[in-house]
Amino acid sequence: MGEGKAGEVVLDDRIVEFIRGLRAAGVRVSLAESMDAMRATGIMGIGDKTRFRHSMRSTLIKEKEDFPVFDELFSLYFGGGGQPLQNAMEDLSPDEQEMLKAALSAMSGRLQQLLDWLTSGQGPTKEELEEMARRSGAQWANSPREARWVSRRMLRQLGFQHLEQQIGELVAHLQKMGMSQKSIEKLLGVVDANRESLADQIAQQVGLQVARERSERARDLHGTDLMHKPLQSLTEQEAELLRQEVRRLVAQVRSRAALRRKRGNIGKFDPKSTIRANQRYGGVPFEVKFKKQKLKPSLVLISDVSTSMRPVAEFMLRLIYELQDQVAKARSFAFNADMEEISVTLSGNRAADAVADILYNIPPGYYATDLGNSLATFFKEWSDTINGRTTVIILGDGRNNYNSPRIDLVKRLQQRAKRLIWFNPEHRQQWGTGDSDMLDYVPYCDEVYQVRNLAQLSTAVDQLLVMS
Amino acid sequence: MFRTISDVQEKLSSQQYIASEEISTVVYLAQDLCKPILTEGPAGVGKTELAKAWSGALGFPLIRLQCYEGLDESKALYEWEYAKQMLYTQLLRDTLRDVLSEAKSLTEATARLAQEEDVFFSDKFLLPRPLLQALLSEEPVVLLIDEIDRADVEFEAFLLEVLSDFQVSIPEIGTITAIHQPMVVLTSNNTRDLSEALKRRCLYLFVDYPSLDAELDIVRLKVPNLKPELAKQAVEVVQQLRHMDLRKVPSISETLDWARALVSLNADSIDEETMRNTLTVLLKYEADVQRARRLLGGNGGGQSRGGRLGR
Repeated sequence: MGEGKAGEVVLDDRIVEFIRGLRAAGVRVSLAESMDAMRATGIMGIGDKTRFRHSMRSTLIKEKEDFPVFDELFSLYFGGGGQPLQNAMEDLSPDEQEMLKAALSAMSGRLQQLLDWLTSGQGPTKEELEEMARRSGAQWANSPREARWVSRRMLRQLGFQHLEQQIGELVAHLQKMGMSQKSIEKLLGVVDANRESLADQIAQQVGLQVARERSERARDLHGTDLMHKPLQSLTEQEAELLRQEVRRLVAQVRSRAALRRKRGNIGKFDPKSTIRANQRYGGVPFEVKFKKQKLKPSLVLISDVSTSMRPVAEFMLRLIYELQDQVAKARSFAFNADMEEISVTLSGNRAADAVADILYNIPPGYYATDLGNSLATFFKEWSDTINGRTTVIILGDGRNNYNSPRIDLVKRLQQRAKRLIWFNPEHRQQWGTGDSDMLDYVPYCDEVYQVRNLAQLSTAVDQLLVMS
Repeated sequence: MFRTISDVQEKLSSQQYIASEEISTVVYLAQDLCKPILTEGPAGVGKTELAKAWSGALGFPLIRLQCYEGLDESKALYEWEYAKQMLYTQLLRDTLRDVLSEAKSLTEATARLAQEEDVFFSDKFLLPRPLLQALLSEEPVVLLIDEIDRADVEFEAFLLEVLSDFQVSIPEIGTITAIHQPMVVLTSNNTRDLSEALKRRCLYLFVDYPSLDAELDIVRLKVPNLKPELAKQAVEVVQQLRHMDLRKVPSISETLDWARALVSLNADSIDEETMRNTLTVLLKYEADVQRARRLLGGNGGGQSRGGRLGR
């Protein structure tokens, strides 16, 4: 009885630790969900590993995208530490055991230890493994990939790469001493199996240690000023953090927009349908009907995807397409030297994948940006996309490499669309310097926003949904 | 009620629903933890079917709430029956006159009328919509909230209250608590992210396209008069289509439609002509059909395709 209780406590601790590991890996797990997981384990027991796994996953993980993280960590925390090592001595006669001992002691120091483990079935203890992992740098590793690298290093330090040769020598020794071929083969079989088990144990130990170390470190975006760092100077790692942040931002923007729509939903009084609806009450106006207002904007996004604009364009596209449901209709075009429509790729796919796809497929161009030419193409090919209800957003730095800015086309765009809004990632002081035609464009825009960082970008997008 | 996980599996399969180990585990847990299940996954993999099979397996009625943009409380929870209230006022006019005739002043008349107000806002005039039906039901029910991702964010927030306490308050009547806690299945096609709060309250079940063997089992179960050899071939084609870069890959429901089409066409084998005639059952976009024809037909017609698939 008492033992069962202790076992439960150990298991609960393990689950708590596992949840901390999940959180450190970026999965959001609430307290309520942790409690659900515990209760589910109580019901399900842990006898059946698959069921235990399913019950943990359905209580803790609420998004398909987090499944891989869960699977990886689950096998680390609850994997059972790989197969135990077997004892090769058991199958040998006393004489042969002596031979093996003698042959082993003839080998050199560090490698002798490894062969000892592999033949005796007495592997390194947990503490030894931990110590070895630390010496191989497990505490500096940050991700599963780095953990794999650490375990490879550990195997090398243990002498795994010379193992073949060592085993060859051992076999030669044993043959010289007169061990039978059959026994040697048996021995080799055990050593081989043990080698794999030991490698598994090491990988598991290192993975667990890395996951633990990671869960000790706080990793919070809100303390940093990443949101205010210019998008163009983000490192790849920072960009990745921000990409995760986009989803949280989108949720905020979406609920704001939904509330606004709900409050603003009452349009003008609609006498016609009020009379019709109240016929059944003998004309007494019980139900008052209002005209619905169409509040969702229909957007055309024209985005500069030249090399310098890429980070900004990426985040803009992510925001817009994560917000697809807040928009009546969105068509997107990308330009560098010329215009291309990218809406098709974007619809239907998950926003994040789609955006990555698009940026990958459009070749980067240096000093080739030409908005004038691109707009000419736009009017030739897709002028029907713009009518009095569309809001056009141009995302660009207004630098045309001294090509003609075609102010006339921007003017025409503004006249045909409901509104023309310009998002520029450059600081206002830089507008009009060098090859920037921004100051010439400004008079024809209804709104101009500076979008240097993610904070500004999300504010601008929010505003867009307000006004359109 | 289900007793064990294998009991879940058996009873669901008696409803012609093949539940994987994971699905049965989650259903069992949902029942024991009294938590809603949120199922996500591509369209047509049997998310809605799960709720139907669940209700069938336990013999509980199924109450379904189909979500759409603009769905609000009056459509989901309850509505006052204005027309009935009006009708009753008209019919009871004489009685009302008697009640009010003794009143000496307007104030007194109003007070008397106010006393009777409860009559018109009682549950006689309450029109329960799916959510309230599920709470009021005398026997346990399975409540299916279908395509929650299509409803607005505000509705989702409202649903939270219902799902966490299984009670609602109606201003004129008071708080109504569920007689039996309903078993709730929410489905989502993942067209938008649901709120964290909602996800937190549910068990999560991702239903993906089935493996070849599982799908073959489903086809055999649901379309028993399709020849086994043909069923295998058909499922292999579908599985192959799913790996293509199509706008909308076929899901189980389309596989079943196709299987039924093959039966009614009396097809002997899936050759090029059958394929040409029936591909539109599987694929819903012209561009996809063209693409699939090109890729499947690229190996020189039906015979060799059959050979390639047969590996």
